[in-house]
Amino acid sequence: MNKKGTILLLSGDLDKALAAFIIATGFAALGVEMKMWFMIFGHNCLKKRKSFFARRRKPDPAREGLYRDLATDNILQPMVEMLNRGGAEHLPLSQLNLMGLGPMLFAKMLKKKNIQNLEELIHSADDLGVKFYICQICCDALGLSVDDLIVPNVEIKGVSAYMKDTMDAHVNLVF
Amino acid sequence: MAADRLVDVTGKVCPLPLISLAKEVRTMQKGQMLSIVGDDPIFEESVTDFCRERGYELFDTHREGKKMTIVFQV
Repeated sequence: MNKKGTILLLSGDLDKALAAFIIATGFAALGVEMKMWFMIFGHNCLKKRKSFFARRRKPDPAREGLYRDLATDNILQPMVEMLNRGGAEHLPLSQLNLMGLGPMLFAKMLKKKNIQNLEELIHSADDLGVKFYICQICCDALGLSVDDLIVPNVEIKGVSAYMKDTMDAHVNLVF
Repeated sequence: MAADRLVDVTGKVCPLPLISLAKEVRTMQKGQMLSIVGDDPIFEESVTDFCRERGYELFDTHREGKKMTIVFQV
């Protein structure tokens, strides 16, 4: 039987996302079938960075409407979207963030040591066949659109799919 | 023994050697030989684990200073 594993990323911090993706790519390279789940702020690393003032498209019932309940959206969803911009290269650190200076120094350190940065790791993971899933209620509550992500083929699923995947897997990591 | 493919991951660190190996192996046929060169401190262990995990046979390992070459059959 094939070895399987799942990773649940809850945190929007750079260090945790980096650890999650290094483990996912490493495991996938060794032949383990990996599935990554993103909840709450975990999906921030997959987001395309937009400027604070960028014009944002109105949610389309034919696209976002498929996995979101647009009727219950209010002013808070666009506000969250504006403030919580994410972007793999713009995540904060959980320790020593130093108001944004920490991640810059961290990026320098990684580059000097030839370690891949988060965006490259995400694309490597995608290339190695790691599957990405986002929690449906997080998408709905935070007003997220799948078109705003840097990787295609992200699926929106619920807890039942997560249960099936974790019960099926040999290892389940939560970051 | 001459290898069919050569992968050079000198200067790259974990997990990049594994990623490059996985991508290269995907394009190869069974029975072909692959030679990989790297200088990561945990390079030997990574590649040995990779081969054991996927059931590939190790043929040759030799070290020149920091650089290490490993040959295995896919």
